[in-house]
Amino acid sequence: MRESRSLRPFYCLICAALAVATVPLFVSSDYFLTVFISVLYGVYLCICWNLVFGYTGLFSLCHQAFLGIGAYTSTVLYLNHKLSPWLGMFVGAFLSTALAVGLTFVCYRYRVKGLFFGIVTLAFAFVIQNLVMSWDYVHAAVGISLVQMDAPWDYYFMERSPYYWIILFLVVIALAVTFFIERSYIGYYLKAIREDEDAAEALGVPSSRYKILVMAVSAFLISLGGTFYAQFYMYIHPENVLSFGPMVTMQVGTMAGGAGTLLGPVIGWTFFGFFDEALSWLPIGSLSTATITRITYGVILMTIVIFLPTGMVGLAKRLSVILRIRSRRYSGE
Amino acid sequence: MILLELDGVTKKFGGLTAVNKLTTTVQKGEILGIIGPNGAGKTTVFNLISGFLKPSEGSIRFKGEDITRLEPNQICRFGVSRTFQIAKPFGNITTLENVMIGAFNRAKDVGEGARIADRVLERTLLSSKRNALAKNLSVPERKRLELAKALATAPEILMLDEPMGGLTPTEIDKMTELLLDVHKEGIAILIIEHVLQAVMNLSHRIVVLNYGVKIAEGEPTEIGKNSGVIEAYLGEEYVFPSR
Repeated sequence: MRESRSLRPFYCLICAALAVATVPLFVSSDYFLTVFISVLYGVYLCICWNLVFGYTGLFSLCHQAFLGIGAYTSTVLYLNHKLSPWLGMFVGAFLSTALAVGLTFVCYRYRVKGLFFGIVTLAFAFVIQNLVMSWDYVHAAVGISLVQMDAPWDYYFMERSPYYWIILFLVVIALAVTFFIERSYIGYYLKAIREDEDAAEALGVPSSRYKILVMAVSAFLISLGGTFYAQFYMYIHPENVLSFGPMVTMQVGTMAGGAGTLLGPVIGWTFFGFFDEALSWLPIGSLSTATITRITYGVILMTIVIFLPTGMVGLAKRLSVILRIRSRRYSGE
Repeated sequence: MILLELDGVTKKFGGLTAVNKLTTTVQKGEILGIIGPNGAGKTTVFNLISGFLKPSEGSIRFKGEDITRLEPNQICRFGVSRTFQIAKPFGNITTLENVMIGAFNRAKDVGEGARIADRVLERTLLSSKRNALAKNLSVPERKRLELAKALATAPEILMLDEPMGGLTPTEIDKMTELLLDVHKEGIAILIIEHVLQAVMNLSHRIVVLNYGVKIAEGEPTEIGKNSGVIEAYLGEEYVFPSR
């Protein structure tokens, strides 16, 4: 049953996306649309990271760098060369892909694996962040502010709803990519690499090639998300797109939802994204919301890694198995 | 016909010579046993052939082609497949999916991969565990899964690193039968084993290693009587149980 080739989940995905796409028709409040957009944006980041961490077991800690490269490349190309961000985002994506391929290849060449891969990628992200921080051409530590205007051909909209549809479209693309990778032989190869790279190699899996491939795809996608961030929030700075913040989003969403599952990151970050927003309504005395959020994330991430390594999706699966056994027992006797 | 040729293969780890100028061959359809005391370099030989280690000197040829410097996945695609002494199942995916990964060496798509894997599972008596996560298998099942994964790649040489280790006598008989069955298909088998009865009965020829050096090579009956082998490994003359 597991290996069934049915496309039904894909059609379900499209239907669900169409349903979610109608939200701006009913919700006119800018506030709520902004919340939905920010949740979808977080979900998108999680899906991209899940490909690398959840499916392949690569502990990449540099996806925020690819995010930032996407944001900065399209923005700088637009401001300095008048290149529409619709095109600039692909320049950024290819740049991120090239760097991801290079980085993963170097790690393969020198047999850097597991936690050490994490450390190398983390260091890479710090290098990129600090380069941008001190590079005047990209406004260094000042950051770049954009001005809202009515220019659809340049990825600027006056309304919130187009942004909503764009990020939803990106989410659908990323989910579709994950879906088709998972059901092809590539998905099996990625999981084999995650479970035991030596055993995978011994069965004819060219592990380095597939690790490079998955990093490239993931970096490409997340880089497009960077451009979206710049166009929607209109302010990019080494401390927002290039910092560890987005990486925390990716980790919390992916691990909480269920790493290595198609819907895990979607469920995980939908929950935490709204949770995040709900926290800001609480009357919290002297502590800032950001502090509360960070403390909560930290505690939740620790709890999940320790007690629920398969995330919400894993928990749901386990519960459904228990329920099925129960109901069988009752009906059988 | 010679399938696999080892020519003066040497592996040094710093000052230690784990394998010293090993020269031997595996013929088509042959079962070659490798025995020797712990630390004799048996597993190192497997790692050298399968590409996980590169020899310090010497060369390894498969059907006349030099495979010495190839990566493990390329060597597997040539038709040389191995198992690991300590089973390495892909724990969080099902038994079927474990075997499918090997089957993709020859399957064109996922459906065909699953069909090949199902056939292999049936042969290795694992069909009932098809949808179980591999981490939930028992030790004998894991041993058979190792074999199933390797078989799914459609090897011409199957290299088995202690397939009987940790099994009970009944399970050893089951495994022996399985291996004879595989051999009937014309697959050559290279087997490292400490369960003497199994390896002596199965093998056509045996290579004995001690401190990385080949101290004897020949038919099991000769090896059982060889004084050097008795001294280094057997302890006493190996007497074949009468049938």
